[in-house]
Amino acid sequence: METTIELNGLNFSYGNIKAVDDVSLITKKGIYGLLGPNGAGKTTLMKLILGFLKARSGNGKVLGFGIEENTRELREKVGYMSESDSLIPGMDAVDFTSYLGRLSGMPKQEAIKRAHEVLYYVGLEESRYRMIETYSSGMMQRLKLASSIVHDPVLLFLDEPTSGMDPGSRKEMIELINDISKKGTMSIIISSHILTDIEATCEDVIIMDKGKIIANEKISVIASKEVDIFEIKLGGDSSAFLKKFERFKYEEADRGMIRMQLPSDFSTKEIFDAALRSGTHIKHFLKRRSTLEDTFMNAIGENGAN
Amino acid sequence: MPIREEGYYNWEGTLSKSKIKWFPIFTTGIKSVYKKRFSKLLFATASSLFFVFLIALYVSSKPELKMMSRLVKMISSDALLFRTYYTNGFLVFMCAMISVFAGSELISNDLKHKSISLYLARPLSKLDYITGKFSIILFYLMMFTLLPGLLLVIFKVIFTGDFSAGLALLVKSITFPVVISLFWASLMLMLSSLSENGRFVKIIFFVAFFLSQMIAGMFWGIFRNDNFMYISIEKNIQQFGSFVFGTPLEFRAPGWISGAILLGLTALFLLILAYRLRKVEV
Repeated sequence: METTIELNGLNFSYGNIKAVDDVSLITKKGIYGLLGPNGAGKTTLMKLILGFLKARSGNGKVLGFGIEENTRELREKVGYMSESDSLIPGMDAVDFTSYLGRLSGMPKQEAIKRAHEVLYYVGLEESRYRMIETYSSGMMQRLKLASSIVHDPVLLFLDEPTSGMDPGSRKEMIELINDISKKGTMSIIISSHILTDIEATCEDVIIMDKGKIIANEKISVIASKEVDIFEIKLGGDSSAFLKKFERFKYEEADRGMIRMQLPSDFSTKEIFDAALRSGTHIKHFLKRRSTLEDTFMNAIGENGAN
Repeated sequence: MPIREEGYYNWEGTLSKSKIKWFPIFTTGIKSVYKKRFSKLLFATASSLFFVFLIALYVSSKPELKMMSRLVKMISSDALLFRTYYTNGFLVFMCAMISVFAGSELISNDLKHKSISLYLARPLSKLDYITGKFSIILFYLMMFTLLPGLLLVIFKVIFTGDFSAGLALLVKSITFPVVISLFWASLMLMLSSLSENGRFVKIIFFVAFFLSQMIAGMFWGIFRNDNFMYISIEKNIQQFGSFVFGTPLEFRAPGWISGAILLGLTALFLLILAYRLRKVEV
């Protein structure tokens, strides 16, 4: 499959803080989620890929264009929806979107026609002649999406696309992203810290933490690694009980809650038996399947421990 | 809000391969300045001077009206007439006003609304961005300096029927407004890049303009030395105008130095502007 992004040992620092630390990455055609907590380096990585920032070391290619050598050619082929509410005041949505289309190199008349189409597509047809500074944050997100796809890019970067949206609008934004990707002509990279958005849209997930890529896998592969998670609260001393589960992964959460990851073939009865033998009793017991969030938290936890 | 039923579809066109990537910034900027409140009033006021000088030019070119030349000294020679047109206090002030009106928010608004990333996410370099913004102020400044100047030269040729007199004047009438417009545009754009607050930029611009005159006047008053006039923006413009058009100098000091000061400051402002934009986080 066609490679969209190829990065080799990319490094970038803000002063002494390493924002992107030796990142090497290959992505193929498709829709990727770039996941990580705030400050993980997701936006910085996107800015490096787009050539907004210059890497201290390392290199990369996007759609075959060098991220430092061919930024102009590269930006003709990519769309970028930034996290910040960037706008040009004094314009309505049609002017704004067609203006950005023209800056991408679209002929004027075609940019205007396409602006109407994409605004209709994202659901802003009724407010397209309103001044954009009067838009709500949800409408701004839609407008940002419209202006990032106006020139029909090959690769689309979406930085926190559902930020500031109410649940209904969020659902519609996710539907739009899925619809764009379904067409199959545009690869998409979504940067987000909202796991459900990534789960709902992406085929692959790249997890970043402290400037490093700590996981890059298909969501289906992550799902196949799912384990059972037991949330247990014990009455009495838990140390003897926990000793019996030393070989498994567990963490002690707030208010005496213990969260244990056990293989899916592990019998519930064994847990109750262990509690009985340790001289404690179980006050709270909940069994659930692990989610992307657990995998995400695990990955970050392991990275932190390392 | 419904999502288009047919789903997303691709754009079939092709992107332009034009090298002038900043052109949409220029055309859109021209329109948005024109749409501003009071733009027509400002432009009408700024262009009124042209009509006054057109009459003066007509008078100066007609032998039967020569007796009026004695009444109005400025129309006694072409050089004096053009020098007076370009360097009179009214046009200098109108140039300052046009710079503020067209340029004070060009970059400061983009900084305020974080919209520089919108430009740079497109196939534009920072140089394209600066060129696009610069061209907007330059356009309006030249509309009220270069264009009327050229029209006056054309009218001069029409009124006198003498082409030879017009050629030297044409070169001077292009050189002077171009240098002056570059100076004003670079000063304005540099100031606009220093703050997110357009109002603050306007204030700083006028403070720089009037303060330079006040300081020059103050030092001249104390030391009676004409070299202190080089501090004043307006005096430098007038001195350089006199130098270009070959008329008596505004103050007793070499005229070319004023030209060098204006060009040097233009280069300095552009360097500061480039530095500021390099530091802007996208």
